[in-house]
Amino acid sequence: MSDTETHLKKFEKELAAGTVSLVLLAVLAAAREPLYGYQIAKRLEQEAGVLAGKQSALYPVLRNLSAAELLDTHVEPSVAGPPRRYYRITPLGRKVLREWIEAWTATRRSVDSIIKT
Amino acid sequence: MNSTPQTIGEYLDQLRAALAGADPAMIQDALYDAEEHLRSELADNPGMSEAELLAKISGSYGAPEEVAEIYRNQEVTVTRALRPPPRREPSSNPITRFFAVAGDPHAYAAMFYLLLSLATGIFYFTWAIAGIALSMAFALSLVGIPFLILFFGSVRMLSLLEGRIVEGMLGVRMPRRPPYADRDLPLGKRIVAMFTDPRSWSSLFYMLVMLPLGIIYFVLLVVSTAVPVALMAAPFAQAIWRLPVAQIGDIDFYAPAWTWPIEFVVGFLGLFVMLHVARGIGRMHGAVAKSLLVKIAA
Repeated sequence: MSDTETHLKKFEKELAAGTVSLVLLAVLAAAREPLYGYQIAKRLEQEAGVLAGKQSALYPVLRNLSAAELLDTHVEPSVAGPPRRYYRITPLGRKVLREWIEAWTATRRSVDSIIKT
Repeated sequence: MNSTPQTIGEYLDQLRAALAGADPAMIQDALYDAEEHLRSELADNPGMSEAELLAKISGSYGAPEEVAEIYRNQEVTVTRALRPPPRREPSSNPITRFFAVAGDPHAYAAMFYLLLSLATGIFYFTWAIAGIALSMAFALSLVGIPFLILFFGSVRMLSLLEGRIVEGMLGVRMPRRPPYADRDLPLGKRIVAMFTDPRSWSSLFYMLVMLPLGIIYFVLLVVSTAVPVALMAAPFAQAIWRLPVAQIGDIDFYAPAWTWPIEFVVGFLGLFVMLHVARGIGRMHGAVAKSLLVKIAA
């Protein structure tokens, strides 16, 4: 039991590593206004249990997406504490997201067909 | 394992301790993210005490040790996967693009390739002609067949070598291994396969055309470098040593002083044109090499 669990954990971790940036881009593409990290995390929590991992894992990905110029970011002071960093998807980000969705769909389709046989 | 933090400050201290030794920039980011998240959570749940909240957070956001672990791992993999290569999008401004060639390593590498192509061209041509001639001469003798086999083998190895040079200097992806030979086939069949493989013949053809191509490339490059350099130097040569721009018979031609800046600027721009030419020929030649040394077989 415990040894299959470590395999499962590892697999989940790798799956999440591969999909988390896709999910984050998609969330921000669907959002009408810029979102900050906590909101994004909450949104993912509500929508589905896609990312079973810890929410802290989202922040480094957000930062790297914005370093890659797929996200725009700005800081706004908040009432409740430190200034919040808001993220908004860039036109480049939308373009990349479209390609990623295609890649994801193709991968999912082929993985599904292999699993079924 | 530390005790569960009671305040946000304690949580951050534990996180900082757990990240000790890591890249300071990463620690700063991790603390920033954590504080932002925790304060947002706090603002979202006004009734809850900080201690309660932090217990809940270890589930969702992660306990300090877990977060530290995530940052250590995630930062490495995500950075590797997402940081784009430092290459920038080609500028849409044609003037910027014109000058940007000076910063493109491929342009300089292509220059060297074009210079080198005269030497390699002569070598390949000589090798191919000598091989073909000797194969014909030996064809009637006992050593004819073994010599032909050796020669064809050498052509295939040289084509691999040329591929490495082309990839290194022109940046075109070329094979890193010799063409696949089926080890299960008997030796005789493998030798026959070498002769029926169109790639052997196209490689031989490539070696032959490298001589004229090499001469053309070399001359183009030397001329397109020499002319701009001469144009830039001419005003100085005339101003300092009274050297004429041109000499026909006994008559010396001097350029009037007002043309000097123009000569210099045109020469300067000519150097960029030369880099563009080198890069362009390099790309073209890369495509030729790829189609003759690799593609035909595919």
